[in-house]
Order: sequence, then structure tokens, then C-alpha cells
Amino acid sequence: MRRWLFPLAALAGLIALSLSLGAASFGEDAGWLLMVSRLPRTAAALLAGAGLALAGVVVQQVVQNRLVEPSLTGAPEAAMLGLLAVTLLAPGLAVAGKMLIAAGCALAGMAGYLALAARLPREDPMLLPIVGMVYGGILGAIGVWAAWSADLMQYLGAWRLGEFSGVMQGRYEWLWAIAALAGLLYVIADRITILGLGEAQARSLGLDYAQTRALGLVVVSVITALVLVTVGAFPFVGLVAPNLVARWRGDNLRANLPLIALGGGALLLAADVIGRLIRYPFEIPAATVIAVFGAGVFLWLLHAAPGRRHG
Amino acid sequence: MRTLLIAGLLACATAASADTVSVETATGTAEVPASPETVAVFDVAAIDTISALGQPIAGVPQPLYMDRLEAATEGAEPVGTLFEPDFETLAVMQPDLIVVGGRSSAQAEALGQIAPVIDMTIWGDGMVEQAKARIDAYGEIFGRQDAATELSAALDDKLAEARETVAGKGNALILLTNGGKISAFGADSRFGWLHGALDLPEAHPGLSSESHGQAVSFEFLAETDPDWLLVIDRGAAIGAEGEAAAATLDNPLVARTKAAQQGHIVYLDAAPLYIAGGGAGAMMHTLDEIVAAFTPDEG
Repeated sequence: MRRWLFPLAALAGLIALSLSLGAASFGEDAGWLLMVSRLPRTAAALLAGAGLALAGVVVQQVVQNRLVEPSLTGAPEAAMLGLLAVTLLAPGLAVAGKMLIAAGCALAGMAGYLALAARLPREDPMLLPIVGMVYGGILGAIGVWAAWSADLMQYLGAWRLGEFSGVMQGRYEWLWAIAALAGLLYVIADRITILGLGEAQARSLGLDYAQTRALGLVVVSVITALVLVTVGAFPFVGLVAPNLVARWRGDNLRANLPLIALGGGALLLAADVIGRLIRYPFEIPAATVIAVFGAGVFLWLLHAAPGRRHG
Repeated sequence: MRTLLIAGLLACATAASADTVSVETATGTAEVPASPETVAVFDVAAIDTISALGQPIAGVPQPLYMDRLEAATEGAEPVGTLFEPDFETLAVMQPDLIVVGGRSSAQAEALGQIAPVIDMTIWGDGMVEQAKARIDAYGEIFGRQDAATELSAALDDKLAEARETVAGKGNALILLTNGGKISAFGADSRFGWLHGALDLPEAHPGLSSESHGQAVSFEFLAETDPDWLLVIDRGAAIGAEGEAAAATLDNPLVARTKAAQQGHIVYLDAAPLYIAGGGAGAMMHTLDEIVAAFTPDEG
């Protein structure tokens, strides 16, 4: 397993860096600081990044397009609308309830996107992400209007730029659910791969297409909601990690899922570490760092990946 | 009473013409109609100071976010929001003067079509000086110089009392909480007058003056270890239901600071600082809170 050596070594180095980096200095109770602040923050970035990358793979297989990711399907915007509604109607709701409502809304938002996508001509791979951007933009605008009317703009702002400065022991544990969902995805990885062949192919191979697709989308919605409610929204992670892994290792999803998860986690952790460093001891949101870096990679993918789509 | 005042004003009028006064505004010296009868005010700090001078205001935006000012301007007509004036109502009202500032500054030009507009924004460095300059200017405009002098003196007394109370009590860090996230503010920020005007040392000198502060982590709080934490809950300022500041700060990293261990985490009312920053009444309210918090319990 030589090919695993380098990524794992890189990841270990990154984790070590993240654990040694923070505004507080290690005193006699270094262990305590690690437990309360550094480990949670490192774990949160890894889990959120892994979750977003896995959600990205599933969405890409479902719509058979490599340039789509959850944040280009209206899912986060729809989840935010749900959270705004909760804030206005039932502000005292427990976190679990908020997550469920956000996940339900993310699912509804994605269903709307898929209905749109089904009516699009398949010739141009660029249409799907563009339509997703427009669709997400419309949902986002409704959210901004609602927040503006209800004086919740600042509240909305807290989710729109994901970051980890508030993460500590007791404030991120929900993200561990992503690990469980990743296990579930690993179990159904082959079926998700077949989804990517398209409905006709999948049916002829004996796959219950609708059921598998629904399961995949539920996983994506739950991941989106977990990450959004806990640390906020991050662009591009679901796009960059799966695409980089696919270019390097091809399309065997079962073999690649662990790599994709590690890649997404490493990406977000690197962004958070950079955000901690740029204006030390102050913070730059990891989402800002990712947006700058992710936009560059996205442009490169657009130029380099026209020939590799299913059809 | 007012006619008397105006008569007195006219009697001792110097070179200034009888119908305009020239006052200092945020955009330089301006010629303003003297003693305007009908005034619309689109800035909460301005509403605060003008009502403190006893001047009735005809039109105010909604919401004002502060019960005290809602009560003081009960008879006033709603003329839109801080960000969006209601031009139709204003056109019917025909005000003699419109005051904008801060969040409503951008509307100055559009409102200028309806009536003379002055921009009385209070921002950044020298908050106290600006606040006092505004008090004087309103005194001139409305012919309430005596009330203005009184108000300025009252503000000075409060500042002196607060300065005395905080002297020698250690350093402080101003913190804004928004949901579960926190940002710190330094001496030249919008809340920095709490350091500058009170000679209250900064726990972490060199914080930049961005309007939303510097995003920091709880580790930063543990490391800075301030003697006092002055906390402004932004969610509370705008009436948002979110994670309250006390819940955000209830964690093991904050618990290790000197401020937490000595019970020196002070939750300041957010609206007077965040919405009405620089208003005379608002400043005094905040100073009262500081004095109360920094005064050791007898017993």
C-alpha cells in the first residue's frame, strides 16, 4: 500500500500542525488545552470536510455531472430557510430538532433542483452547475429577504461563512454523526457508483434506482444540515476533493471513498490552519480561505475536464 | 417657553442671519434652518440626544430597538426604517429639517429632495468629543443652548465618575458575541471610547478598528486573560433569538480567565452601544452600567 503512504503522512503532519497551533500557549496543562480546544477543532474540520466531500460524490453520481456539488443544488440555502423559520416560529427548539428541520428542507431543496435538472438538455455539462447556482441564488435571495424583514441578517451571516473559531469540547459533537454516515456510504458505495451510469443502465443491472437515489440524497441532506448548523457553510469542498481523487485514481468509488473523505477533511483542516495563521492570533474564516483556493481549482477543472463525463 | 427662548435668541443674535444657523456636522459645517418646527430624524443616536434636549420630533423610523426611545417619541409618526425612509409620508409631512446618520447616511441625498438634510453620524475615534459636538449643534439648531450645556455637563460628570470607578481596577477586553462566535474590539473601534474616555487599559493592545471587530477564538480569551470582560450581545441588540452571550461564554476556556474567576464579566446593554452609539442618553446608560459593575459590593 505504498500509494497510501504519502497522503497519510501529509495528513498526520497537518493534524500535528493543527494541534500545535492556536492563540493560547501550552503551559503546564497542555493536555487539558488539547482536550478542550485543539482536538475538537481539528476533529471538527476533518469531519466537516470529509462529510462535505462525501456528499459531493453522491450528488455528482446522482446528477451524472462532475461539476455539481451540494452547495450548487440549493441544499444549504434551503436548509438556511428552514433554520430561519425555526428561529422565527420556535426559537427554543433543541439542536436535534433544528438539524432535522434543516435536513428536511435541504432534501426538499435538492428535490426541486433534481426536478429542474431532469428537464435540462444533457449536451452541455456546464448547464447543471449554472442552473444550480441560479436556483441556489433564488433560494438564497428568499432567505435574505426573510432575514431582512425579520431583522435576522446578522444571524444569517453567522452561517453563511463557515468557520471553526467557536469550536470546542461540547460544541461540535454532532459532527461525529458524519463518521457513521460515511460508514453507511461505504456499504452502499457500489450502488452509488451504478447510479452514476444513469437510470436505464442502473435498472438493467437490477438496481432499485429510485430507492438508492433517495437514500443517497437523504445522506447528503443530513450531512449538509449537520455541517451548516454546527460550523456554517463551506463552498467547493464537495467539488474539489472528489474531482482531484478521480483524476488521480479513476472512478472506483468503493476504493476511493476513504481517500475522498481524507482529502476533503485535509482540505478543510488546511484551510482552517491557514485561517488561523494569516492574522495570528486573530481568525480568518476557513470558508474564506477555501473560497479563494477552491475557485482556482474549479477554474482549472473546467479547463481540464471536458472530456470525462458519463453519457 | 420656546417663544421666549427664540426671542432671547433673536435678541442676542450676532452676525448670523435670523433664519439659519451654521453648525458642525459629520460632513463639515452646514447652514441649517434655525428652530425648525417639524423634524424627521433617521438616526437613533440623534433621536436620543435631541429628545434628551426636550425637543419634540415629528417623524422617526421604526423600529428603534430601544424601549426608552420608543416611549420618548410616542407621538412621532413612523417614517420608514433606519435603512429605507418612507418618502411618501415624508412628502406629506413636509419637515423643515431631516437628520440622518450612521445607517441612514446613504439616504442623505435622496432625502435632500424633500427638505434640508444634515448628516450627524458619530463614528470611530473621539466618540465623546463627537457626541458633545452634536449636543452643541442640536442646541444651536433648536435654540436650546441651555439644555445642551446642561446635558454636556451631565455627560462629563458621568464620565468623570466612571473614570474614577475603573481607575486601578485592571485591564479590560471589549467583546461582541454573535450567535456562538465572538469578536474583540480595540481602543479605536466603535466601542473604543470605553477604553479611551475612561482611561481603561486594553487587555490586548493593537486590535484593529474594523466595524465588526476582530474574529477571535476562545483560546485567544484564555491567552489574553483580561481582568474584565465587557460583553455586548449583538443578537440582543437587534432582538434576535440566538445563543445568548452568557451561554456562549459559559465554557472551560473562558472560565480560566481572571475576569471569569473574579466575576468580572460585565454584560452591557447592547442597543445603546450597538444601535445608538454616541447618543447622549445611551452613553450615560452605558456609563451607569460600568460604574455599577466596577463598584465593589459593600459587605
